[in-house]
Amino acid sequence: MPAVQETIDQVRQIDVDQYKYGFETVIESDTAPKGLNEDTIRMISAKKNEPEWMLEWRLDAFKRWLTLDEPTWARVDYPKIDFQDIHYYSAPKGITGPKSIDDVDPELLRVYEKLGIPLREQEILAGVQHSKIAVDAVFDSVSVVTTFKEELSKAGVIFMSISEAMREHPELVKKYLGTVVPVTDNYYATLNAAVFTDGSFVYVPKGVRCPMELSTYFRINEKNTGQFERTLIIAEEGAYVSYLEGCTAPQRDENQLHAAVVELIAMDDAEIKYSTVQNWYPGDKDGKGGIYNFVTKRGDCRGDRSKISWTQVETGSAITWKYPSCILRGDDSRGEFYSIAVSNGYQQIDSGTKMIHLGKNTSSRIISKGISAGHSSNTYRGQVSAHRKATNARNFTQCDSLLIGNDCGAHTVPYIEAKNSTAQFEHEATTSKISEDQLFYCLARGIPEEEAIALIVNGFVKDVIQELPMEFAVEAQKLIGISLEGSVG
Amino acid sequence: MLEIKNLHARIAEDGTEIIRGLNLTVKAGEVAAIMGPNGSGKSTLSYILAGRDDYEVTEGDILYNGESILELDPSERAAKGIFLAFQYPVEIPGVATMQFLKVAMNEQRKARGEEELKTPDFIKLVKEAAASLEINPDMLKRPLNVGFSGGEKKRAEILQMKLLAPQLCVLDETDSGLDIDALKIVSDGVNALRSPDRAVIVITHYQRLLEHIVPDTVHVLYKGQVIKSGTKDLALDLEANGYAGIIEAAA
Amino acid sequence: MNMQTKPPHTAAEQAIVDSFAEMIGQLPGDAPVTAARDKLLSDISTSGLPTRRIESWHYTDLRNLMRDLPKPGKGSATLAEPLVRGSLVLPMVQGQSGEPSAPEGLELEPFMDLLVSGAAAKSLTARGSDDLIGQFNGAFVQDGYSFTVAADTVIDEIIEIQSVQSGGQVHSRYAASFGAKAGATVIERYLADTSDAGLSTAVSSLELADGAEVTWIILQGCGDADQHLGQLNARLGADAKLKLYVINAGGKLVRQELHVEAAGEGAHLDLRCVNLLAGESHTDVTLTLGHNVPNTTSSEIVRNVVLNRARGVFQGQIRVAQIAQKTDAQMACNTLLLSDDGEFAAKPELEIFADDVVCAHGATVIDIDHNHLFYLMARGISEKSARGLLVNGFVDELIDELDNEELVEALETLIEQWLNDHG
Repeated sequence: MPAVQETIDQVRQIDVDQYKYGFETVIESDTAPKGLNEDTIRMISAKKNEPEWMLEWRLDAFKRWLTLDEPTWARVDYPKIDFQDIHYYSAPKGITGPKSIDDVDPELLRVYEKLGIPLREQEILAGVQHSKIAVDAVFDSVSVVTTFKEELSKAGVIFMSISEAMREHPELVKKYLGTVVPVTDNYYATLNAAVFTDGSFVYVPKGVRCPMELSTYFRINEKNTGQFERTLIIAEEGAYVSYLEGCTAPQRDENQLHAAVVELIAMDDAEIKYSTVQNWYPGDKDGKGGIYNFVTKRGDCRGDRSKISWTQVETGSAITWKYPSCILRGDDSRGEFYSIAVSNGYQQIDSGTKMIHLGKNTSSRIISKGISAGHSSNTYRGQVSAHRKATNARNFTQCDSLLIGNDCGAHTVPYIEAKNSTAQFEHEATTSKISEDQLFYCLARGIPEEEAIALIVNGFVKDVIQELPMEFAVEAQKLIGISLEGSVG
Repeated sequence: MLEIKNLHARIAEDGTEIIRGLNLTVKAGEVAAIMGPNGSGKSTLSYILAGRDDYEVTEGDILYNGESILELDPSERAAKGIFLAFQYPVEIPGVATMQFLKVAMNEQRKARGEEELKTPDFIKLVKEAAASLEINPDMLKRPLNVGFSGGEKKRAEILQMKLLAPQLCVLDETDSGLDIDALKIVSDGVNALRSPDRAVIVITHYQRLLEHIVPDTVHVLYKGQVIKSGTKDLALDLEANGYAGIIEAAA
Repeated sequence: MNMQTKPPHTAAEQAIVDSFAEMIGQLPGDAPVTAARDKLLSDISTSGLPTRRIESWHYTDLRNLMRDLPKPGKGSATLAEPLVRGSLVLPMVQGQSGEPSAPEGLELEPFMDLLVSGAAAKSLTARGSDDLIGQFNGAFVQDGYSFTVAADTVIDEIIEIQSVQSGGQVHSRYAASFGAKAGATVIERYLADTSDAGLSTAVSSLELADGAEVTWIILQGCGDADQHLGQLNARLGADAKLKLYVINAGGKLVRQELHVEAAGEGAHLDLRCVNLLAGESHTDVTLTLGHNVPNTTSSEIVRNVVLNRARGVFQGQIRVAQIAQKTDAQMACNTLLLSDDGEFAAKPELEIFADDVVCAHGATVIDIDHNHLFYLMARGISEKSARGLLVNGFVDELIDELDNEELVEALETLIEQWLNDHG
């Protein structure tokens, strides 16, 4: 098992609570003044040369947001956020939208190099170990570059920043934006609708299988800046696309806010696979700093036989509040949610999914693996519901938690709602510590405890890891090992 | 008594054809053995006879006492006297064995227009039948098949057969999982039921059971068809030489 | 913006407030008891009936479901035969305790006496701001029983608290204390003597001293128009064992809360719950179980049969404290949804702060097992009877675990009867 060995090596090299991506880049930025009001929104809209309807949409969302209360039902605890103490827009000087790679500030390119994200197409082509991946790189509030755009457009696939899409394909954006996550869906989604700055847009036309993996790499760099990205992916009839997002941020003492919205739409026979490796800065060993990650992700299986699959590896952020969901509207549609949530230090995670069965013969599958260590709190919260007309709805849920150490918490809160006699739901959840037998077996073979735990944890999360595109699977395994570093006393 | 004519059947869910033009006749008083390698369709045949709706008959017919039974549900077939001794009797927690036996016996009687059994008569019948099969009365207090050993389950099947007194008995690999003593008890139970107006179909892998329940006819099932029929000597031949020769000859 | 305007009282909320004003003069209790009642009533009046926004009432929006209070009932009702012959019956006729004679080792007192003397004043509190049942019952409680089983004493006969009601409101409390190594089987049974709508609230408090072994059965057989709000609070000492049965087979709007604390090492809880739901009823069973010390164990199985337009809810929260190492808790909730108009919602919850534990929950919504059905039909049992047998078996499996054969038979007969009447 080379991956495991790699994890172990990686764990060895790293000091306790050293966040690998914690460096800050000094780049001159064009930053909006702190604070949130209509002028801020007008400024963002103007910066992006948005059409008038978009500005109206934002202003309307802002008005609605003012009437909403911050949700309190999640098992997360944090001081009240001062929404007036945040910059809502920050972009590297001179960049308001993606450019050709040659025009991008070399300093910025070095950031992505350091993060291990390939942006130069020729380098990717020359490389042997990477398969072809198109990347949209979002730095603070703007997309700085999108690769392989031309090659993709030959296949008919549109892959660009959402700001660009608003200008180049307004009819598509207007048609689909906010149709899965309505403007007033929840507090953070409404805030996002008002102030979102960038994100990716993907459109895969009828019958097209997207020729390469698409990915977006999010980086928060600027201090006291919120990142509000919005991603919209549409797979037309019979289309297929696999999309991956990664996220990192510098190490800072203050908390930073990230409130994203992702909407997926799959028409008849279409399939969207959405993978996330979330590694925002989690805060230091005393719980200082870190990202507040309040994200609304939802997929709409609008067409018959459509399929949406979410895979997430959550290792970062001080607070995670995130429930990637599927609305199974089309007959015979299928939703999947595969999740690994690792919490250490003082991290708090409240994450899970919703599977809403509306169409006939719909099925869903939930595999969630939570690992808590340190002083962290890790909650799975999930809803499975079958509505009256959802005949033959099927769900299988397996929800396992592993506790490492005795100062952390692991919680499981499923909501299971059946309104149809032909529905069949099966939910299983377990919580345990690392098996003594397994640990003893490893120790008896001469494997030191920390390595043995890494081995066992890798086994514990295997069902989810194998859902990730291959190279990210290796990355994810490493990440989990690093996140748990220092958890064994 | 039983006439299977050019039967074709497939798995309802995925359409896989299992029985492909099977012909078989079993007369009253006859004990017919059906043998065949794994996957030849033996168990499927037993389920189709009993009326399991996981299988679809696409062609041909099954005549029982001259009438087609294809349209009958499993309980109607049972009431007409068809009994399947399951290879794997299911455990049904919460349903008491005695209650189950009583409901089964009385429902069949009701379906045939007979009077229901009175409780003391019923208990007497069960006790006698259980004793003849060396079934511990404590077993009957447990929920149906729950916690029974493999051998106990098979004996419980024969007990049910004895009590329900069917006309056509189908024994699906009743010998599997039985030690030699249990095999003897079960076989004696079956032999005691042999009579001129009753037919028995014994489905088995091995000659072993046929030493105890001696068949009148032996049929070799392969890929959903009877490829050879003969007397009990055919079973001995199979035991000695395997299926390969017969399969080759039939091909 | 934070000044939330309180919505006006609903008809039911107003009726509760009015009813209190009308009844307070006749409710038993000294000054501290009356003060406690006032406080509880004012809490209800201020916060109103709980809505689905209160997490513990997520699936039972009482504000919406409780439309009104019933009209006053008849003054009397007729007791039924006890479930098991020879039981010691503690009668509660239209909310009034009787004067049963207690066997040796059992000390018995009407709860009304504790209200009159003020001894019960301290117990008239709510568990928290979301404890509507504690508030409602505490404000209005009229009577009930308080009993103590002496240490090392096993009461052989079954104790049946039989509450019979003909309409109106009844609010009762049962405070049961079991001494060290004491043993008893208690049935808390609710019956209706009329088809007129009635409302009952009941709070039972069980205190199990070290090594006590108690079987407690809540058998709710209210009328089809009745509202029943029940709460059981139990505290288990070291090595104490509580076998808790809840059988719901009646009522229009039912909420049964169970709050159990495993407070001594070696304590064990078995919860077996059977919900038979039909008509347009709404039935909610909500459990919170705290494993508070090391080496405690529990097993919870809930089986639901849903017919017609009935709605059922099970919420089960298992909490494991940081010191509660070696906890073993297993919970299962299985539902047979037999009608397309019926609904069931389950929220099994694990909240775990200790690492050396084995906790699991499972929840299924299923159809009748295809293999079981085929097996029974292959024995000549018609599809309808076979289904009936299997539905019966699905719930009888839990009843079978009781030791007392007479009790098993009585409960199974009752269940069979219910299924025959409603199936």
